[in-house]
Amino acid sequence: MTVELDAIVERLAAEATGGEGVEAYAELTTETSVTAFQGEVERLTSASSSGVGVRVVSDGRLGYAYTADLSDEGLRECLAEARANLEVSGEDPGNVLPDAAAYEALDGLFDTRQAEADPERKVALALDLEARTRAADPKVTQVESARYGDVVGEVAVASSIGVAGSFAVTHAWCFSVALATEDGQSQMGYAIDAARALDDLDIGPVAREAADRAVRMLGATKPPTRTVPVVFDRMVAPSLLGVLLTGLSAEEVQKRRSLFADRLGERVGASGLRLVDDGRLVAGPGAAPFDGEGVPTRRTVLIDDGVLQCFLHNTATAARDGGDARSTGNARRGSFKSTPGVSAHNLFLEPGDLDQAGLLARAGEGLLVQDVSGVHSGANPITGDFSVGVSGLLFRDGQLAEPVREATVAAHLLDILKGIEAVGSDLRFTTGSIGGSSLLIGEMTVAGA
Amino acid sequence: MLEDAVVRKVLGAALATGGEWAEVYAEDRLSHNIRLEDRRVEELVTGRDRGAGVRVVKGTASAYAYTNRLDTEALLEAARVAAAALREPPAAEVRDLRRRQPEVRHPVAVDPAGVQRTTLAELVHRADDAARGYDPAVAQVTAGYGDVRQQVLIANSDGFSTLEDRVRTRFVVQVVAVRDGVVQTGFDGPGRSMGFELLDEFPPEEVARRAAERAVAMLDSKPAPAGQMPVVIASGNGGVLFHESSGHGMEADLIAKEASVYTGKQGKQIGDERFNGVDDATVEGAWGSFAFDDEGTPAQRTVLFEAGVCTDYLTDLIRARQLGLPASGNGRRQSYAEVPIPRMTNTYVLPGDDDPEEIIRQTPRGLYAKSLGGGQVNPVTGEFVFGVVEGYLIENGEVTSPVRGANLVGDGPSVVASVDALGNDFTVKEGICGKEGQGVPVGNGAPTMRISQMTVGGTGGPA
Repeated sequence: MTVELDAIVERLAAEATGGEGVEAYAELTTETSVTAFQGEVERLTSASSSGVGVRVVSDGRLGYAYTADLSDEGLRECLAEARANLEVSGEDPGNVLPDAAAYEALDGLFDTRQAEADPERKVALALDLEARTRAADPKVTQVESARYGDVVGEVAVASSIGVAGSFAVTHAWCFSVALATEDGQSQMGYAIDAARALDDLDIGPVAREAADRAVRMLGATKPPTRTVPVVFDRMVAPSLLGVLLTGLSAEEVQKRRSLFADRLGERVGASGLRLVDDGRLVAGPGAAPFDGEGVPTRRTVLIDDGVLQCFLHNTATAARDGGDARSTGNARRGSFKSTPGVSAHNLFLEPGDLDQAGLLARAGEGLLVQDVSGVHSGANPITGDFSVGVSGLLFRDGQLAEPVREATVAAHLLDILKGIEAVGSDLRFTTGSIGGSSLLIGEMTVAGA
Repeated sequence: MLEDAVVRKVLGAALATGGEWAEVYAEDRLSHNIRLEDRRVEELVTGRDRGAGVRVVKGTASAYAYTNRLDTEALLEAARVAAAALREPPAAEVRDLRRRQPEVRHPVAVDPAGVQRTTLAELVHRADDAARGYDPAVAQVTAGYGDVRQQVLIANSDGFSTLEDRVRTRFVVQVVAVRDGVVQTGFDGPGRSMGFELLDEFPPEEVARRAAERAVAMLDSKPAPAGQMPVVIASGNGGVLFHESSGHGMEADLIAKEASVYTGKQGKQIGDERFNGVDDATVEGAWGSFAFDDEGTPAQRTVLFEAGVCTDYLTDLIRARQLGLPASGNGRRQSYAEVPIPRMTNTYVLPGDDDPEEIIRQTPRGLYAKSLGGGQVNPVTGEFVFGVVEGYLIENGEVTSPVRGANLVGDGPSVVASVDALGNDFTVKEGICGKEGQGVPVGNGAPTMRISQMTVGGTGGPA
């Protein structure tokens, strides 16, 4: 099938006429998901879809169109729409296509075991996960959701400037949401595992962790308002980094929408803190040999020893900056339906030496945040204001104590970054482009009753 | 889009392995989106997406397969894939298809597809000029217009088929204002189930001005106080709060799983008897409206709260059957690539008799939440957190200084229970609601309302 995508994008790229650049980006995705509920398959979804997006540039203008209709007529219309859209677009030095550059293939993205996995094994895994979650603790009264999912994807890109490439990936994951009930109060607990093939998913720990996380929150009350050390759980940390990530995109910086604008070379985090994006880290789901416009990927250190080193670039943002600016291989697309934006492949804080228990012991007393809510409204990547709802467990002498809920923490994002006293050793990637580790923040105000 | 004969054949293939019920959902979607940023049209994108999904249901279990090819062969393959989940002899038949006629319509006066590209470019430039002209502090403007025409065909083995042509348009402006190192943002984004005439009702200049006003007003803000206090929520915004904190908990999938704080609350007095809430997909031209939901059930008005009593839940076909409830026409999906689940449409807290200004005058001290950002809710507990993007203190019955960084924390039933004033005004805010990874257009409406006591999170210390 890759051959077919290659042929489609190359044929479109070859349509370019004098003065214009044409780029085509095509995807083919096959997905399965299985949801188990009360010992039965509640839902099974299986799908295959494909599409192509066409970018036309000429004299600093851009036109874009996409289609899911890959017939000759569909492709012809798509190219014609892109050309017509170019006519009203504004001129921008960023409207250029990347030069052709050789990329190095990346082993381990595609696992043939996944591509050949028997659907019955997928169903069995979801059912087993649900049963094990339910059995993990007598206080688990319901498994709100137990799901298996996978994707086999192929990507191809070609341009009239000579960019040409394709690759295939596989992903498999499973997650469970346990519901525990006691004395009329219910609590949810979530856990997930992800790998390149379902053979490598480990459902035992997912079931146990989902149950534990629900059960240990039973009896949660609103805590008194206090200023204490806070440990963010590794599953929470990606929400926090996600807000920072927006501001590390050169596009946001150029548009004056980043709290990091004008801070290159400045201290923005605690000493020793290192924030990395690594597009070639196969352990992360965002790994790819090249980005959404065919530029080879690489490892980029964004913050080193607490000092801001650089921003993430695609070809457009690098061209806008001019001078020595080059794409960092961070053109990302949500799908063939969008033009390349800027985002991370696999973003993470370089892990430290202590696991979560070690961080709790080091802090002594404080709050372990198990869940945050309201991040998309309460965190502002432009102003840096960060105010979210939290629930979790208080800890004393490094030991977990009573659960708390309906509390909020509020601080400026840079103060949080500067306040990171230690990054946990428990770095994990699951399904997003951000890896999570436990984080110890020296002091935050937790507002409750 | 598809011939009846083809649809019947596909439904037949879907039921070949023992399914009780089968459905075909096909759509063809044409969209235009223009976006201005940094004073220039950054992109205009034309999108053509189409595809079909086949669903086979037995009991509460369903199998779904979709494809983005609409030829007979691809549809039959999808039917076979969905049917493969079962291994039994056929148990149901496909009835003759009868076309359901719509009871409500959402007329389109000006077909967006006929609008010139240059006209779209002018619109966003007008918004840009208006926002920048509002105040020198306006530093960045993003203006966007989008339209989508979605043709949907739904047919099921019960013998119903529906065909709907849905058109939606939306105009959005986001403004960043900067003064003395303080950065604030403002947003406005009206949308309707109508054609290009949306712009007559909401001229770009007015949308831009409202967004700019919000951003500039917040420049002089100080950190919001933290603690318990009365909160007056400006008209429209209470709808967002109601949607998130109560509406989701009344969606029947959560009820069926007993994963909602509203499980077993039907018929229970939750709030004051002045409190009424509905979900209404029949409102002509409203953003969350349609003629049929994404399972072909006619659009309806469902009463969620009547005189403070929790009344009906929002169902899709599977949950309605499972719980023995009426099908409320709330089965919605983002696209052919998703299965329908119970979702809200236009969710309204109905107005009361109070004068909005009087509500504030009667509040000695509290927070005036003029504009809420998005929110998040844990439906099991009903707990939520909402960011207040434009907020003010209320002191001695008057709206005084702007405050930033406030968020509202509470739970749905408590909010319904503690609403102690409902204005005689009413506004709707449009948005895209996300659930299980599916985004659907929703409208949220409410009058000015006061919540007698609520937890406010802020960085400005105790209130």
